[in-house]
Amino acid sequence: MIKLAHLTKRFGSFTAVNNLSLEIPDGEFFGFLGPNGAGKTTTIKMMTGLFAPTSGSVTMNGFDIQNQPLDAKSTFGYIPDQPFLYDKLTGREFLYYIGGLFKMPKETIRREIEKTVEHFEIGEWVDKRTEDYSQGMRQRITIAAAFVHSPRTIIIDEPMVGLDPRSARIVKDSLRQKSREGVTVFMSTHNMEIVEELCDRIGIIKDGRLIFLDTKENLHHHKSKFDGKLESVFLELTK
Amino acid sequence: MALLFHIILFKTKMFWKVTTARSMQSVIKNAASFVVFGSFAVGGFFFARFTTAYLLQHVQVGLFLFHRFIAMALFVFFLAINLGNMVVSYSTMFRSPEVHFLLTSPVSHLNIFIIKFLDNFFYSSGTLFLAGLSVLLGYGSYFGMPWYFYLFAMFGVLVPFMLLAGCLAVIVLLLLLKLAEKVSVKGLLAALIVFYFLQIVLYFTVTSPVHLVQEVMKYYPNVNLYFGHLDPPLTKMLPNYWAAQILYFVIAGRFDIVAGYWLLLLCASIASFMFMLAAGNKLYYSGWLTSLTLRLFSFKSKSAKKSFLSFEQHSHFEPQTEVLLKKEFWQFFREPSQWIHFSIMMVLVIVFLSSVGALDVTLQRPQWRAAIYLVLLTFNIFLMTSIALRFAFPMMSLEGTAYWTLRSSPLRIQSVYWTKFLILLLPLVIVSLCTAVISGIPFRGFPMLMRLSVAVMALAMVCLASLNFGLGAYFSNYTEKNPIRIASSQGATLTFLLSLTYLVFIISIFFVPLVLFFRAMYFNEQFHAVVIIIATAVLALLTALVSLTAHAMGVRSLRRDF
Repeated sequence: MIKLAHLTKRFGSFTAVNNLSLEIPDGEFFGFLGPNGAGKTTTIKMMTGLFAPTSGSVTMNGFDIQNQPLDAKSTFGYIPDQPFLYDKLTGREFLYYIGGLFKMPKETIRREIEKTVEHFEIGEWVDKRTEDYSQGMRQRITIAAAFVHSPRTIIIDEPMVGLDPRSARIVKDSLRQKSREGVTVFMSTHNMEIVEELCDRIGIIKDGRLIFLDTKENLHHHKSKFDGKLESVFLELTK
Repeated sequence: MALLFHIILFKTKMFWKVTTARSMQSVIKNAASFVVFGSFAVGGFFFARFTTAYLLQHVQVGLFLFHRFIAMALFVFFLAINLGNMVVSYSTMFRSPEVHFLLTSPVSHLNIFIIKFLDNFFYSSGTLFLAGLSVLLGYGSYFGMPWYFYLFAMFGVLVPFMLLAGCLAVIVLLLLLKLAEKVSVKGLLAALIVFYFLQIVLYFTVTSPVHLVQEVMKYYPNVNLYFGHLDPPLTKMLPNYWAAQILYFVIAGRFDIVAGYWLLLLCASIASFMFMLAAGNKLYYSGWLTSLTLRLFSFKSKSAKKSFLSFEQHSHFEPQTEVLLKKEFWQFFREPSQWIHFSIMMVLVIVFLSSVGALDVTLQRPQWRAAIYLVLLTFNIFLMTSIALRFAFPMMSLEGTAYWTLRSSPLRIQSVYWTKFLILLLPLVIVSLCTAVISGIPFRGFPMLMRLSVAVMALAMVCLASLNFGLGAYFSNYTEKNPIRIASSQGATLTFLLSLTYLVFIISIFFVPLVLFFRAMYFNEQFHAVVIIIATAVLALLTALVSLTAHAMGVRSLRRDF
């Protein structure tokens, strides 16, 4: 479960996230939408411990990210918007590296890597250095790294950037499968189709404030007020 | 030409905007820079003035010998600029993303080459320029020189001297890249290392400082005479000799001779600059294309998997420590600019140590012995300062944009900090202790000095590693991938100056105890070792203070937003 309570982040006089409160129960697939600069990535960075909130708190699976960071971090896998990797390591080494950081036994890492390599179809280039990878390959390795330690929650920022249609399909299927297995997924994206296809509940953030929060079922009701498209609801709300 | 000025103008504007940003952080940073740079300049001034006075009045080396020492120092200075420019120019001129951008715009290759050369020259020579200026001021003030001497020495001597070293570096680099199309890069690099090694050995064999001192001292007390006949012909063709001669004859008031050497230096600088432009026009673009495909090592994945350092192999370490250690190892040895630079520095250390190991100090007077001991100690610490700056300072920044993996993982970020620090400290302490022991060989008759060298070097290495690593974390720049650029950033320059201040402090506190020690040995008097013990305790205290402060700053900075 993810709980954001009165979360605020200021950079000098600019407020990027303003008093954001949100609860996402276990196993829910949550879509986090918003225009550019709305505060989506800032929120995610506070959830993952990359930013310290100015005020408010983040609880990940019962652990406060600021006060119990190690317990909280061991429960989630994070996929950033930019798949930055260690250039000099191969994809496989990077996966072992992540497994080690999560204190996984070698045998489990090996087994999980074999599974992930096959699932994400990365066997052909997993033993090449990541500096030689394309954006899509990097993205797939990053997603594989988030899956390798079997997290209870997956936090994913713009998952489809740089992915070709086949890779995008693999990622979508994997996320859906994880959600079915009871994993909570918090996904930030611009892609309306993916939101409609995958998410159970949707939140829209604008100027750091949550301006919309509802289930997919209720979303149909909102859509009917416009031309039946989520895109129109989004454009109207974020106008 | 208009396009060239257009680009330079915008680059200058950008630099100006960055350095004069009005945020509170920027003001504090600039004020701190001003204080450190200013203190360094003042320190350099007094150090140069004191050293000049000491050598001329107390040790009485005479003007000729003193300027030959300057020539030797300038030789090392020339090589430092030359090597520094070569290493930095590879990253600035060939690996910079700005070159990719400029190559897609209608700017000629020659213009890109000039822009990047200037970028490189000012970037890598700024601190050395400041060091040269403060030393010149100290030197000139001792002789009571008028204001125009400094202008002449700075812009007429120092700038052409540095430009010559920079141009030669770029020419060598262009030729290397041209050869890299046909010859193995490993072979080329080995040849380059041997070439520089031979240059240093040849220079100090030909000039033979000990022999020179003995020859001049035969004329004591008439050591202020000109002993030009003792100069080996080979050294007269070198720019460091011309620069030293200019200074000598300015002091002697022989401006006709000054004019000759000055013209020689100026012509050599202009000629090397023109030659560099011609080489750049012909070789820059092809060199850039070569640099894209240049890879020194291609580790076979199979052999990497078998190695005990493979991620797949079990180890006795706790999993987080294990993967951190292995990551550091592979990141270092798969990045050519890291291990090549490290190898070059180790070669320099070996050259230095092989030279000093054979030094004979048995017949020297107490002041001479104290001076030689301190010079050796200074050189040792300076070498360690350079190594620490180059390898310790960029270490946290080199986590790069992948730092998110550590920050979002369930591990204490402090453990990452200390693990990295210990990985760094161990080899540095080993190298520094080796230098302490080998450079102590000329003083093997005095066991206390050997113990002192070891203690001072160990303390200095801990302090320098802590200072560079801690401040490297504090000034971390996770977006810069190039370790050389990180090690020559503004934060790195500040750290370097602080390290030099620490070095000057070491010399200041040990100078008097060492003179007393050698005097006591020379005149067979009793020496109270407590003087040395107190000085060492003071150094230990300072080391602890500096190290703890640097680590506190470093650890604190890791919690910053990423």
